[in-house]
Amino acid sequence: MADLANRDGLVDYAKSLDCIHCGLCLQSCPTYRITGLEPSSPRGRIHLMRAVAEDRAQATASFVEEMEFCLLCRHCESACPAGVRFGEMMEHTRSRISTHRGLGARLARWFGFRVLLPNRRGLKLAAFLLRLAQKGGVLRLLSKLGGRFENLRYLPPVPTGSERRPLPRKNPGRAPERGNVALLEGCVMPELFGKVNRDTCSVLNVMGYGCALPARTVCCGSLHAHNGDLDGARNLARLMIEDFEALGYLPVVVNSAGCGAHMKELHHLFEPDDPWHARSRAFAGRVQDLTEFCAENLDSANLGPVDEKDWPAPVTWDDPCHLCHAQGIRAEPRTLLSAIPALQAVDLPDSEHCCGSAGIYSLLRPQASGEILRTKLEALESSGARTLVTANPGCQLQWQSGLLRRGSEVRVAHLAEILASSLAAD
Amino acid sequence: MKTLARELKAILGQAGVIDDPTRLVPYESDGLALYATRPELVLLPRDTDQAARAMAVLARHGTPVVARGAGTGLAGGATPVENGVLISTARMRDILEVDPEDRFARVQAGVVNTQLSEVCRGHGLMYAPDPSSQMACTIGGNVANNSGGPHCFKYGATSRHVLGLVLVTHAGEVIDLSGPWVDPQGLDLVGLFVGSEGTFGLATEVTVKLVPRPPVVEVLLAIFTELEAACDAVSEIIAARLQPSALEILDRLTIEAVEQSVFAAGYPKEAEAVLLIELEGVETEVSGSQQEISAILNKHGVLSTRSARDASERRDLWAGRKGAFGAMGRIAPDLYVADAVVPRTKLRALVRRTVEICRERNLKLANVFHAGDGNLHPNICYDRRDPDEVRRVLEAGRLILETCVEAGGSLTGEHGVGLEKREEMEIAFAPEDLETMCRVRDAWDPDRRMNPGKLLPMRACMELRTPSPRA
Ligand SMILES: Cc1cc2nc3c(=O)[nH]c(=O)nc-3n(C[C@H](O)[C@H](O)[C@H](O)COP(=O)(O)OP(=O)(O)OC[C@H]3O[C@@H](n4cnc5c(N)ncnc54)[C@H](O)[C@@H]3O)c2cc1C
Ligand code: SF4
Ligand code: SF4
Repeated sequence: MADLANRDGLVDYAKSLDCIHCGLCLQSCPTYRITGLEPSSPRGRIHLMRAVAEDRAQATASFVEEMEFCLLCRHCESACPAGVRFGEMMEHTRSRISTHRGLGARLARWFGFRVLLPNRRGLKLAAFLLRLAQKGGVLRLLSKLGGRFENLRYLPPVPTGSERRPLPRKNPGRAPERGNVALLEGCVMPELFGKVNRDTCSVLNVMGYGCALPARTVCCGSLHAHNGDLDGARNLARLMIEDFEALGYLPVVVNSAGCGAHMKELHHLFEPDDPWHARSRAFAGRVQDLTEFCAENLDSANLGPVDEKDWPAPVTWDDPCHLCHAQGIRAEPRTLLSAIPALQAVDLPDSEHCCGSAGIYSLLRPQASGEILRTKLEALESSGARTLVTANPGCQLQWQSGLLRRGSEVRVAHLAEILASSLAAD
Repeated sequence: MKTLARELKAILGQAGVIDDPTRLVPYESDGLALYATRPELVLLPRDTDQAARAMAVLARHGTPVVARGAGTGLAGGATPVENGVLISTARMRDILEVDPEDRFARVQAGVVNTQLSEVCRGHGLMYAPDPSSQMACTIGGNVANNSGGPHCFKYGATSRHVLGLVLVTHAGEVIDLSGPWVDPQGLDLVGLFVGSEGTFGLATEVTVKLVPRPPVVEVLLAIFTELEAACDAVSEIIAARLQPSALEILDRLTIEAVEQSVFAAGYPKEAEAVLLIELEGVETEVSGSQQEISAILNKHGVLSTRSARDASERRDLWAGRKGAFGAMGRIAPDLYVADAVVPRTKLRALVRRTVEICRERNLKLANVFHAGDGNLHPNICYDRRDPDEVRRVLEAGRLILETCVEAGGSLTGEHGVGLEKREEMEIAFAPEDLETMCRVRDAWDPDRRMNPGKLLPMRACMELRTPSPRA
């Protein structure tokens, strides 16, 4: 790839000026923590962006590498007193970089983002093939190749076909006393975590809500936005907003922190004078993470003890980056867990640090991702927890595969699973 | 440089030497981005041995060396020099030893200040110096700048807490002064090194003193409708021989910026100034001083005083204070933090004078400072892309320093001299004094390759004719 300059609008220059170069963000950054390198830190990345914008540096291959090395975990935003909007800057730069990629990379991305993710049948087929490959030992063979393939062996098993069945379009169970909420089923969720979706529904049902599902939406587009396909993200955003509007203007409940964070910020994808800007802002106003929705609406009197066989105590909460840093949700999940009778909970040290999952990052950069996870696993061990609770499919997968690799017995749960277990107790 | 890089890679590994031109760019500045010089190479040793061997190679090549911790320094101390290399301590971050009985810890120089505090917490101990940048800055950088922080009012700055050091000299020799000696034997080289801003050598390991955590801590937030009244209250608290553990003032512009930030602490936005007071000790001690302090605050027309409800509110109040510098990023792209110490009886007059100096030059000023130490931090907002504004800022900075020195104060409270205040050293010191300092410097680094051009005015050292011991 040839060097780029800012004439193509590579950098959101105005936003880069918000950074005052204080360095308070350094230790929040997973890539800085594993490398100690200034160019792999938030301040360093912004410095590079600004230098490119001011024509004091070229956007070389190493520039691109530093931008892609970032996990977009946005921990730096939580640390930054100057209010730098790092996530937006990085999404912008990545989208400009991606138009300059080589043909092979463009094709792979086109297939992944435009064909596979937005297509339920494609995802189903992929999950089916993956399961087949796991069963038949193909992945184990592949993992012998080492390098990027090594991790394949520790991919948690894809659930059986019946586990992967989609949620019924029509709301099951008893009639909703408190009305309906709209639910995002997600792209990968139904294939890998169908149970989490079903538990989410049952929690909402017990709370008195029915679940309405949009007709056409598969993927919310957050993976696209994070990985430089802003156009793809825009298309999916329009589709999703229309689709959800068609359900009536219901509260939109999301059980994946990464999707929820993106859906609350869709308006960043559109210029302020674009009618979609206002429309996505209104949509964002209706989006709530499941933990938020439950903390507000769940009657804790209904909570019983969770099933110890499934979820051994003590439990601990790990903040998904896109819940705590992007959505500012920290207290709600803790409040919910502490409301469960007799549930022994312990604190996870540095729970706000990234686990290295970051969407498809763990697949693209298994080594860095694994190194980032390592300190998290050590923190988990020191906490003594036997069940780790999170609220994001990527994190769930990352933890599962890390624990599998370690041969650890610690279980990984989505908060919906814990709540469902607690509400099912009599 | 090619052969130099090759030799260094043999010692530090591929990953320990950065020579990619793009990756060198972010190292061109420290926390004072007004100055920028690209280093030829950045070296990341993992321990004393690697650092020493690298330094020996650099000595052979006659290459100038600048040390860098986290690059949060505000005086350009870690700005690289022409044709020089940077040695970053970012990969030297192991805590080597914590001895809770003897109350000391031994750490690598790149350990981050809060990282050390965290480790000690479990033992009921703490490392007292707490620069506002503590979540990022390194112990090595703290040593080099003799850094302070809000709690240094009671506990003293870094120099009071360093018990020992392991140093690598300009020639690559290792000097082990790791102690811990409460009272140094022979000449106090450790004491001499603290505050030398990287001009004497590279610190690779630091032994620090740990102190017990106080049993009771109380944080008071006093709200004033006038900045000057807050200053007077501080002067009187000092004169009354009271000893809170911290006394910090934030003015209105600072409060506004902080309250908009992620560190919003609940400071009242209508206040002209808030005074943050921390008291600690045993119960009776704390409540006793609280009463005396309240009386003084009332006398100076405090609007209201409240104490933090619990540990989490105390933490928020401090986080707001510590995020103040960064929060100013909302107001302008750059911030110039002047750092001068004034006699605490003259706070009111000098704060007023800084306000005037900035107003005359049409500059936006925010005041937030370690009032207890008389350590002013006039924060001047600017945009480094505007040359005229930069000129006015530097002029104001110099005038403020002159005013403070004239009033019996000193040039730097805690941020060091670095590049920024190098020439101002001549305001505070006579040529003979500077010459003596250059001699001391030459004793450590006769070739003047360690952080050249920092701390001491160029002229003073250039004119110094002492033959270097090697010549
Ligand atoms: C938001 C903010 C708040 C701040 N608040 C305070 C405060 O309250 N009190 C205060 O005192 N300072 C404060 N500072 C200034 C700064 O954080 C301190 O000076 C700090 O000690 C610098 O540490 P560092 O690791 O970033 O060092 P750097 O900035 O990297 O380096 C500072 C100097 O030390 C030298 N150096 C670094 N490591 C070594 C080593 N191992 N051996 C020899 N020399 C070395 C460098 O060459 C340079 O001259 C603040 C800065 C910011 C950005
Ligand atoms: S988003 Fe995360 S990985 Fe990227 S710079 Fe910020 S803290 Fe680092
Ligand atoms: S904390 Fe914010 S202002 Fe400070 S260096 Fe990081 S991004 Fe820049």
